[in-house]
Amino acid sequence: MSVATAAPPERPLPTPTRESQPFWDGLREGRFMLQHCASCGKVRHYPRPVCPHCLSMDSTFKEVATGGAIHTWTVCHHPFNFFFKAAAPYIVALVDMDAGVRVNAPLRGVAEGDLKIGMRVKLGFEPVNKEVTLPFFVAE
Amino acid sequence: MAHPLRDKAAVSGIGETAYTRGTPKSGLALQLEASLAAIADAGLDPRDIDGVVPYFPGGGIAEDFVANLGLSDLKLSVFVPMGGATCVAAIQTAAMAVATGVCNHVLISVGRTGYSGARVSTRLQQFPQFALAAEFEAPIGMFAPAQLYAQGARRHMELYGTTLRHFAEVAVVTRRHAILNGNVVMNKPLTVEEHHASRMIADPFRLFDCSLESDGGAAIIVSAADRARDLKKPLVTVMGVAEGHPESPASIAQRPDLLEFGLAKAAPRAYAMAGAGPADIDVAEIYDCFTFTVINQLELLGFCKKGEGGPFVMEGRIALGGALPINTHGGLLSQGHVVGLNHVVELTRQLRREAGKAQVKDAEVGLVTGYGDMGDGSVAILRRAA
Repeated sequence: MSVATAAPPERPLPTPTRESQPFWDGLREGRFMLQHCASCGKVRHYPRPVCPHCLSMDSTFKEVATGGAIHTWTVCHHPFNFFFKAAAPYIVALVDMDAGVRVNAPLRGVAEGDLKIGMRVKLGFEPVNKEVTLPFFVAE
Repeated sequence: MAHPLRDKAAVSGIGETAYTRGTPKSGLALQLEASLAAIADAGLDPRDIDGVVPYFPGGGIAEDFVANLGLSDLKLSVFVPMGGATCVAAIQTAAMAVATGVCNHVLISVGRTGYSGARVSTRLQQFPQFALAAEFEAPIGMFAPAQLYAQGARRHMELYGTTLRHFAEVAVVTRRHAILNGNVVMNKPLTVEEHHASRMIADPFRLFDCSLESDGGAAIIVSAADRARDLKKPLVTVMGVAEGHPESPASIAQRPDLLEFGLAKAAPRAYAMAGAGPADIDVAEIYDCFTFTVINQLELLGFCKKGEGGPFVMEGRIALGGALPINTHGGLLSQGHVVGLNHVVELTRQLRREAGKAQVKDAEVGLVTGYGDMGDGSVAILRRAA
């Protein structure tokens, strides 16, 4: 029987689209950038070609505030992707951002027993390679 | 005026393979085996089938059905890409086809090697509907349905006081029903304590809150009601059927209310088509990818008020002999995961009075739901024709 050398599991990474590229570029620069309609001004996330409010196809990305309040959360124990095995269990908080959209990201430095809806958090930036920076939360 | 689709279509044939963990058969073979069983159950010949709605992605496509079953004149090939809501939504598609005369007999089928083949996270990567989750959530450690749906369950607990005990009740009752069925993956009793002690998957979901990864196939035939009347089995007609798509359909995270999904839109339409309401339902087969999902759907179906689904499932209400027996076959939690087509098979059996030890006495009208794909919903109301 041959002994296979197990490759370490690879981290799943985003494949930005033409619509979402500015969002990921923003994170890489440490800026939380969201898509806004150039016509009616409303924010939308995730990025997409058409404003569902006014149907305009013109949009611009603007830097927005990084604060928010917890909407809900889960604590991931089973590593469905084995890359996350070492990190488990980890909290993933779904946050109502002050900027008007939600963001799902790991919440660090908060004990599971202290979690509650409405808890204030802020978004941080964690580079994982040269191209990709991912968001995470800490208590505000 | 009655809805033009009401009672125009019938579930005329049902078929299943054995539900197992482990099989040498392919997903396509399981799907065809179940399809042949459904065709035989209806008393039809494969050449009578003139429409197919195979589950997609995964399993066979129209070409496979023509090549394997010798379908001589296929008139309709449709995919309904709604994840777990597919099978019941496909009844609406099939009903439209047979009610308008496009087809006479439409075959809806699933074959899945969910245990011996690719597991859930890998399977979902084939779904275009999961592209947003793949881009924005998989990199931060969220991709499996257990993780994505757990956040809604947690919010329900925080807002309404729903508890682990409520979740356990769904799991334990479903298991009890499975044992009566026999063709099930999980055939040993489950206690509340065992549920509570099972390992955490994605809080608040423990192992026994999650549906099975299993191998198996299921199929049904939807026929024009006037043709089904002459077939072998008691006539079971489609009184009402509807599909619904939630706001922010490809991202749960961005949905205004995580606890309002496609079923909230589909249920009122299906009831209106049927001319029936929750009080008319004798038995319900509720898509149970997770225990909590059942609780949430019971609310959206109007069996109880929003937030009251937890207490509703207690005190034997959802068990055989209770006011609303659910998942009388063992569901996805204990029988097997064939994307809920087993729920349609079971409801048809109940209304034919063929459900054996799990038979709901005098069942006349029943309901079946589908749920999936980040919150798509579907519901059908079937009845035993007089």
